[in-house]
Amino acid sequence: MCSGAASRRPGTTILWGKTNVTKRTFWGFTIPSVFVMVVLMVVPLVTTVWLSLNQLLLRDIKSPKFIGLDNYREVLEDPEFWAAVRFTLLFVAVTVPVQMVLGLAIALLLDKVGRGRSIYLAGLLLPFIVTPVVGTLIYKDLFDRGGLVAWLWEVVTDDPFVITATNVKWLIIIQSIWHVMPFAMITFFAGLQSLPAERVEAAQIDGANFLRNLWHVILPHLRVLILFVALISIMDAYRVYDSVFVFAGDRFTEAHTLQVYTVEVAVDPQIGRVGKGNAIGVLNVLGIFVVLIPFLVVSYKDQIKERT
Amino acid sequence: MATVSLNNVNKVYPNGFQAVFDLSLELVDGEFLVLVGPSGCGKSTALRMIAGLEEISSGDLHIGDRRVNDVEPKDRDIAMVFQNYALYPQMSVKDNIGFPLRLKKVDKAVREDQVGNAAGILELMEQLDKKPATLSGGQRQRVAMGRAIVRKPSVFLMDEPLSNLDAKLRVQMRAEIASIQQDLGVTTLYVTHDQVEAMTMGDRVAVIKDGVLQQVADPETLYSEPSNVFVAAFIGSPSMNLVEGLVTKDGDHYSVKLGSQTLAVPSSIIAKFPGLDGQLDTPIIVGFRPEDLDDAAIYAEHPSDQRLTATIDVREALGAETLMHFKIDAPTVDSGDPDALDELGDGNHARITARFTPKSKAKVGDTIGINVDVTALHFFDKTTHKAISPRKADVTV
Repeated sequence: MCSGAASRRPGTTILWGKTNVTKRTFWGFTIPSVFVMVVLMVVPLVTTVWLSLNQLLLRDIKSPKFIGLDNYREVLEDPEFWAAVRFTLLFVAVTVPVQMVLGLAIALLLDKVGRGRSIYLAGLLLPFIVTPVVGTLIYKDLFDRGGLVAWLWEVVTDDPFVITATNVKWLIIIQSIWHVMPFAMITFFAGLQSLPAERVEAAQIDGANFLRNLWHVILPHLRVLILFVALISIMDAYRVYDSVFVFAGDRFTEAHTLQVYTVEVAVDPQIGRVGKGNAIGVLNVLGIFVVLIPFLVVSYKDQIKERT
Repeated sequence: MATVSLNNVNKVYPNGFQAVFDLSLELVDGEFLVLVGPSGCGKSTALRMIAGLEEISSGDLHIGDRRVNDVEPKDRDIAMVFQNYALYPQMSVKDNIGFPLRLKKVDKAVREDQVGNAAGILELMEQLDKKPATLSGGQRQRVAMGRAIVRKPSVFLMDEPLSNLDAKLRVQMRAEIASIQQDLGVTTLYVTHDQVEAMTMGDRVAVIKDGVLQQVADPETLYSEPSNVFVAAFIGSPSMNLVEGLVTKDGDHYSVKLGSQTLAVPSSIIAKFPGLDGQLDTPIIVGFRPEDLDDAAIYAEHPSDQRLTATIDVREALGAETLMHFKIDAPTVDSGDPDALDELGDGNHARITARFTPKSKAKVGDTIGINVDVTALHFFDKTTHKAISPRKADVTV
């Protein structure tokens, strides 16, 4: 109705799929998003791949030299890279399941709360709202000398609390769970709001206890959201940067994740090696894709099933 | 099989709202009792209290000989069918029906056998491996029935199970549910807001309004001897016509005055309502059903002093009958049904619906004579809205 004169002009109407649209309407609607996609995704991706095949230093940014796959060879032979891979995988493997289970548990509890729900909800969302760097700094203060946890530790054990290369990894992991758990919680909580009460009641009459109800009614209902949260959380966890940067910084290179390692290689003012950095970037993209494959397959199958 | 008895059951919500008042009801073994009332009248609450999904604020609930006020829903030996089917979407039809048995840890072979049985009764054999999402509304409701049947409960509780189906399917499922219930002989409490469902399915029908039980009786009694104005208006479609009128006596001749019109009523009929004697010349509520009216032009032998004269406002030809709507200049009556549309009008012109023979030639705008079958009149007290001395005492209020 709104395409007006253009659509009525004879000869310009084409059949696109099952709908009648004019070429002008079609391109008018698609070009803006194609443009944005090309500028924001295709161009950077191609540039990254190209740069990864060049020797390029930050202090000498204007003279790239093509070296083929040498950057990749170097990265794969770098023990620091493999240390970062190991910690990143550990980080993903621990934070994602823990934050999801915790998030679901809190969502289930919150669902039972009648009065003052929004107050609890606001409080529980706080960690997610706080700027990551600020949140990490506050958390880190707890463990630094004079911090509450460090002090308690000293009172209880008589030894001063020291952040070491070993415990710093777990401190980062715990902080991260605290920070991102509200995302899983709020998503699952929203999902629970759409669970029909009748279904829970039917299960109750059928004789389901809490665990049966969880397994047969609640989890199947949340299935899509669980998949969604897992997907987003894995991507997020894989790309963790700020908290690791604040915590480990230059002190504990053992606790560097892939992102921190990349930045360190690429943008160090003295030895910044942009070419190698981009090679890590490309490997990162491939790595996250491999990690996500099972989830992508499951959610793709779900989509297909829903359509048929 | 079991009886269900509610004894002065009340439901008060924490916010102080009382949904059910002193409900006392007895379901005999094997009976199909329908609880009917307008939306929000407390009928679902009553059912949910029996199911154990709502706490009983006070009063006693017995299923069989057992007081079950504080018994868990799963241990009450009941099965419930919900309005939205409440199937488990990820399970096949077979697993849905077998779910209660699985929770009871019934052996797999036995379970499949019983599921097969139920599916046979419900004609779901072809659907056993399908998911609920691929079934039609009627099939889903049958799966929900199957899930209830396999439990072999002593009581079925059904909460508006047909209200999500389209009209044609509803009529079909109505008969199906009734016949399954008859075959199984399980005591059934069925909640609906649809009085047609109530009348067609129930051995007995309990009418409830604002949490208060109005009348419990078999469908025929409910229709012919409603205990009050609400039941009179609620049961029957189109509803009973209710207008304010007077019964007057002139010598031996009684007549009913409706606004400016008068119907002569033989004293033998007045005699059936002993309570009327005390209410002569005082405003009362007079009721007559649409089928007790007809076109005087077709049935000319009808006594001419038992006629109304009115102008047709709306004519609805339904084939087997023709509904005529008109107004008479008598005061209107509020039946108390919150779902009824604009009963009152301007207060002084009662709307009347008549069910004429399709032979009637009357058109909109015609002023015609309308025969009234005065033997079928109902009389109600104007202030209490209760029926005036009905012939038999089948009144619970």
